[in-house]
Amino acid sequence: MISEPVPDLDTFDAPEPRSRRLSRPDLRPTLTWILPPLVALLLLAVAVELWVRLGDVSIWLMPRPTAVVESFFVDFGRYFNEGLKTLAVSLGGLAIGTAAATLLAAGVAHSQMLERAVLPIAIMVKVTPVVALIPLFIIWLGHGWNPKIAIAALITYFPVLINAIAGFRDVDPRMHDFFRSVNASTWEIFRHLRWPAAVPYLFASLKISVTLSLIGAVVAEFFLSGQGGLGAVIWIEQNSLRLEQVFASVLMLTVIGVTLSTAVVVAERLFSWRLDQPVTAS
Amino acid sequence: MIKHPIEPDAEPAVRLNDVRLTYETKEGKRLDAVAPTTLTIRAGEMTALVGPSGCGKTSLLRVIAGLTPPSGGEVTVFGQPPAMAQQHKRLGLVFQEPALLAWRSVADNIRLGLQLNPRETHSSTEIDELIEIVGLRGFERYRPAELSGGMQQRVALARALAIDPPLLLLDEPFAALDEITREQMRYEVQRLWGISHDPTEPPRSAIFVTHSVPEAVAIADRVLVMSPRPGRIIADIPISTPRPRRPEHEHSDRFINDTAIVRAALRSPTTPAVPLDAA
Repeated sequence: MISEPVPDLDTFDAPEPRSRRLSRPDLRPTLTWILPPLVALLLLAVAVELWVRLGDVSIWLMPRPTAVVESFFVDFGRYFNEGLKTLAVSLGGLAIGTAAATLLAAGVAHSQMLERAVLPIAIMVKVTPVVALIPLFIIWLGHGWNPKIAIAALITYFPVLINAIAGFRDVDPRMHDFFRSVNASTWEIFRHLRWPAAVPYLFASLKISVTLSLIGAVVAEFFLSGQGGLGAVIWIEQNSLRLEQVFASVLMLTVIGVTLSTAVVVAERLFSWRLDQPVTAS
Repeated sequence: MIKHPIEPDAEPAVRLNDVRLTYETKEGKRLDAVAPTTLTIRAGEMTALVGPSGCGKTSLLRVIAGLTPPSGGEVTVFGQPPAMAQQHKRLGLVFQEPALLAWRSVADNIRLGLQLNPRETHSSTEIDELIEIVGLRGFERYRPAELSGGMQQRVALARALAIDPPLLLLDEPFAALDEITREQMRYEVQRLWGISHDPTEPPRSAIFVTHSVPEAVAIADRVLVMSPRPGRIIADIPISTPRPRRPEHEHSDRFINDTAIVRAALRSPTTPAVPLDAA
């Protein structure tokens, strides 16, 4: 209850409440970011084209960029379908790897014993190139999708694990004290303090692991060329020295990589509370 | 209405019996943070705890809040161990840093205490009303980072008050603010201290840790002075300025005299406090 009117003491220098509606995106900055690299890429392609044509370079060594683009569009259905397979492996591995790593990180954040047991192994596996395990995974999991997804999952696992542990721990100790002072349960502390604190960390690790999962998928497909996927296409076509098809497959992989990375950035804008981003309407 | 009758017969808000706190350093040495302390804080009393930096004020507050177990002695809050006070949400904590959840709006930050441990939520204070009282109307949907330091600290105060705690524990809540805001907040906190309170609960008490003497004298009914480490309470000085207090009171002889007494106690940690102009 108030006994007297209270002046707005320090509201005078506070920002005006602004509209929470998201404004229409301004395209100009996007163009200034996208145009220069596109022009540079085009110039590079023209240079290669001139080099191959004028220098009389053998098509077994270097295809003409125009021929690559032609193959890409003429055979688009093939690259698209094989690309979908690679994408499925990559996303499947990413989902499994991220979920498993987040779960373990939540455990590690709560238990020092678990941390001591798990972290050295995590770091050991982290410095080991996990694609070296593909032959083993094929023996264990057969020739289907499973070994490919397993590799993509394993390769994404550790960046997410390390980041998620850091995120779950990045909690203001005063904030933790406040939760304790009202007798909040461990679950409440996790749900309302640790989990939101970890969200920016999880997105940071997703940016890394989304490209890693694609690497894992493609390398695994080299080994399992009967199963399809862009890795398999590259493997098969290079055996016949059909470099146009190899390059066109790589081009499709680039498209997939760009799409995946962009999707993570967009998801981060939508779901992250990071302060350099607009508050999502609620 | 701001009315806080100190009830001498009621169950004390806090009782410390020979409480001490010893830390073990990394080299294995023992560090006495708080010397054996016996103390009673009456229900409805606003107590300031002043002392030099590192004297164990904050440690003592953490012991009362049940966040640090004492190395010896007994602590009771409303006649029970601090853990029970936590469980019944009878503690309102405010820290030097606002310590708000960056991803939550102002309103959702204030609501946090009600949301946690929901079975014990007994407050009838409407969040809307509280936002009005702390002067944050229009900022409900803002994120903490969009607010000034003073406004953030108001959010922290409102969050503590939302659960209607009979004991407020304030750990240098204005130390990080600029001087002008800080002087205003002295009177803000006294006003907020008195907002609607469940009559079935004990009258609201507060312990206010600060190293500013004028702040302590302006706010408190009673100033406890602590010595440098190991912290000991070396003076217990009643402040007689009537309530409700206003900034003008800081120019009164009574106020100036009281600050002089507290300063004298701080300056001579071994001898008891003596009024300077003991006339």
